[in-house]
Amino acid sequence: MSDLRRSRDERGAVVRVEELAGGLVELTAHLPHLAATARAGEFAQLRCGDGPVPLLRRPFSVAWVDGEHCSFVFERVGAGTRLLAAMRPGDTLGSLGPLGAGFTLGDGMRTVVCVAGGLGCAPFPLLARQARDRGASRVVIVHGAATAARLYPAERFVRGDASGVEVVESTDDGTRGHHGLAVDLIADALRGGDVDAVYACGPNPMLAATAARLANTAPAVCEVSLEAPMGCGFGTCLGCALPMRRGDSTAWALCCREGPVMPMQAVDWDALRALPPAHVA
Amino acid sequence: MSGESTVDLRVPLGRGVELPNPVGVASGTFGYGFEFEQLIDIQRLGAIYTKGTTPQPREGNPPPRVAETAGGMLNSIGLQNPGVDHVARVYAQSFAQWRVPVIVNVAAATVDEYVHCVRVLDTADGIAGYELNISCPNIAHGMDFGLDATAAGRLVGTVRGATERCLVVKLSPNVTDIAAVARAVEDSGADAVSAVNTYVGMKVHLAMRRPVLPNRGTGGLSGPAIKPLALAAVARVRAAVRIPVIGVGGIATATDALEHFVAGADAVQVGTASFADPRACLDILDGITAYAQRAGLARLTDLRWQPAPLPA
Repeated sequence: MSDLRRSRDERGAVVRVEELAGGLVELTAHLPHLAATARAGEFAQLRCGDGPVPLLRRPFSVAWVDGEHCSFVFERVGAGTRLLAAMRPGDTLGSLGPLGAGFTLGDGMRTVVCVAGGLGCAPFPLLARQARDRGASRVVIVHGAATAARLYPAERFVRGDASGVEVVESTDDGTRGHHGLAVDLIADALRGGDVDAVYACGPNPMLAATAARLANTAPAVCEVSLEAPMGCGFGTCLGCALPMRRGDSTAWALCCREGPVMPMQAVDWDALRALPPAHVA
Repeated sequence: MSGESTVDLRVPLGRGVELPNPVGVASGTFGYGFEFEQLIDIQRLGAIYTKGTTPQPREGNPPPRVAETAGGMLNSIGLQNPGVDHVARVYAQSFAQWRVPVIVNVAAATVDEYVHCVRVLDTADGIAGYELNISCPNIAHGMDFGLDATAAGRLVGTVRGATERCLVVKLSPNVTDIAAVARAVEDSGADAVSAVNTYVGMKVHLAMRRPVLPNRGTGGLSGPAIKPLALAAVARVRAAVRIPVIGVGGIATATDALEHFVAGADAVQVGTASFADPRACLDILDGITAYAQRAGLARLTDLRWQPAPLPA
């Protein structure tokens, strides 16, 4: 459950908007409070433009923190992300964060596996560093995308300090890495040794497939980062309901407050797969 | 230009309830205050109108529950709330510690259920009054009372007999004659009315050839897009009743709030704006106070427009 007392509404200058291959954009801004407090998997509500359109902020995982700067990775899927991508250095970005519940990083973890589908790469650069800061000696990042150009650049997962980080890639069309799905690579990643945790982020079908692969051989910590159409991002509008198992039944949990990171086995995957993607709303 | 803080911000709402200032926060956009308490100084507000509270706990509607539109948003939350017993037993203990008046929004399907809710809440301290939600567009029977002046009057009359606390009635804009409903609830003992609840709207996803929201495909439209509609409703209600009118709809800035006072409001509620900017309500309070001082107003209601009689 998120603690809103850690959150702050701050405004800072954009320092960089990088156009990566395949339509991915990485935006970096001076946001000292978020930089000092964000944990991997937590998100910020970013203001997109100054007018009433788009009306609502947009939630983004904190992808990376460098000093007092934070980076976010996205693609242009709607009005909000198009405005963010069009920002220039010196423009002011509004951020409310950190928000939500991030990934569980335990002190005793040695080996962790991350499964990143497409834009699901976003939380993992920060996770790779924070996991190693907490003592993990091996971080395996399994990253899949439709085609090579849409893979998040492997060096951005490791950011200069590659020790202990392995990036394994797959593409649906075989243009780089394994020809197939990222989930095909999970078994190999688990075979490498005792895995303490699996973290996944990506499209719902990929996450559901990941959960299915891990149904019998799950490490102690298995978590997914989910998304939902969000109004406020801090638990008030009750808009971002996700179907979660509670005993034998399914109940709604708020993506922004109880998530976005949820225990993999607690998600009602059939109900989640029946929902339209979050950006539809 | 006085430059002095001579403006009297207090709003007498009836039954001894006096709001310290006219800027409240709208039901459904502020929960029960507990999230915002961690983000801003909620004690500065004129009032908190809570999330719609029902006789039993409600899980809410299946997702997607919100959808953004041009300058607005649709919601179909379905009155997710912990139920009236929990609010009276647990939440009200916090309300009793707060300086800000808390007005509990009550939603139900029958007259007996409304009475039950009010009686349960009457046992708790810390509640300044009730806002009867007779206008929820997102549950079955949510608007039954709000669409018919006779039914609305009968409901309010019965609830009036059950509680001594201040009774605000939140009006639905999805009616032919909002003035008739306003008059009926005034005649039945309402202390104030809030105008307006959300407008029924739909967002369509063309590629999927269906509405974005589930069930009937509709939700309640709020945000800057509805401000002109809300102002017109406030003016119509103002002309129809003597009791205080609380303006709500499209208020995101101090200017928006001041426009509601011109249209006839005695107080306002900030709603959807709080989602994008948690500080919006406090910025609006500061903004309208500064405006009133600059303009040398004794009260914000001095802004009120007096419409000329219609030509015969």
